[in-house]
Amino acid sequence: MPFSGARRLNLALVAALALASIACFAYPLYVIWPFRYQGPRELAAALFVLRIGPWASVVCALVCAGLAAYAWPQTRGWMRRGVLLACAALAVAGAWLARFNLYEQLMFHPIRNVQAQAGGSAHVDADDMVLAVKVDQASRAYPIREIAYHHVVNDTLAGEPIVATY
Amino acid sequence: MWKREAKGIVFTFHLAGINNQNFLMRDDQTGTYWQQISGRAIAGPLAGTQLEAVHSDELTFAAWRSEAPDGTVLKPVSGDAAHYEAKDWDVRMASVPTVIDFPSTGIPSRELMLGVEAFGASRAYPVERILAEKLAEDRVGSEPVLVVVGADGKSMRVFRARLRGGEAAPEYYRKLETTQARSAHMPLFMDAATGSEWAFDGCAVSGKLAGQCLQPVPALKDYWFDWRNYHPDTTVYHR
Repeated sequence: MPFSGARRLNLALVAALALASIACFAYPLYVIWPFRYQGPRELAAALFVLRIGPWASVVCALVCAGLAAYAWPQTRGWMRRGVLLACAALAVAGAWLARFNLYEQLMFHPIRNVQAQAGGSAHVDADDMVLAVKVDQASRAYPIREIAYHHVVNDTLAGEPIVATY
Repeated sequence: MWKREAKGIVFTFHLAGINNQNFLMRDDQTGTYWQQISGRAIAGPLAGTQLEAVHSDELTFAAWRSEAPDGTVLKPVSGDAAHYEAKDWDVRMASVPTVIDFPSTGIPSRELMLGVEAFGASRAYPVERILAEKLAEDRVGSEPVLVVVGADGKSMRVFRARLRGGEAAPEYYRKLETTQARSAHMPLFMDAATGSEWAFDGCAVSGKLAGQCLQPVPALKDYWFDWRNYHPDTTVYHR
């Protein structure tokens, strides 16, 4: 069966949408990688994709799946149908993965609700370093060995919302 | 350390990415991305907004306890405590590769600096040198500053060396050589002009100026590559 120009265009669109959906997840992951230099422009682009990715990938996946379903009855041959199916699956996978942030959901564990204890009860070595803060008359110490793991501590001291970072 | 409130919104931050080994935070409330070192929003609805800095010190636990006996300490999070960094974690960090280097400066990327951004200028103090000198008189921009090492030999603070309302900055001298932080108010250095004795918290504990305190200057312990990346015009102490 001849592969018409319209069908070619449809297949190209399905493939492009699948790639766009995957890019919503993969591009920020590639740019925002810990041991890789990040230029300011590519970082700005990656953050933009990160922000629009969750809904942009869904749009890509829906349109991709719709076009694949539309083309399915006219598509003959297991290879062509396989390509359609693979593209639709990739687009759906991209939409799912774009909801996942490696850093937020897997790698790091920020503190949202601080539990504090009296200085005299804390098991911290005398020569260990702490990040110390004083708000009004309230003093609090964040042991570096703890916050070097959590990196971000959302806290409130003397009624003041603060964030300790390391 | 930042105040996590701006434009009437109280933020909850989490770590959302890394920008040349300085991390990015995202807030739950608006989805804005913030740079850790600068507290500045770099992408999202609040891009361009600056968080207000909260003064903090990096001290030994003993030094902090002597100054804040009633203070509270972050409790380890159960389940995470087993993953906390080892005591010598900074030794391991010293060999972690970097992605930005400034070879023309001749300073190793992972050299630890005490960075000061104040009075319209940036200045980096090599930590090793400051710990050896124990008391450094210097200028940031045109303002005289004093970099002081605590009696523990590890804690550091920076003060504006000029007394409030004073025209001239007196000369300061290290008074005691001790490794014991016996008390927060132990005299650590003195000034030549009045002979007053000053403690590590920057307050005079004896002499004509007893009760007066020097103005603390925010300082950040950071690796050279990171400090230099965000402070391209920085100068370096004794370089």
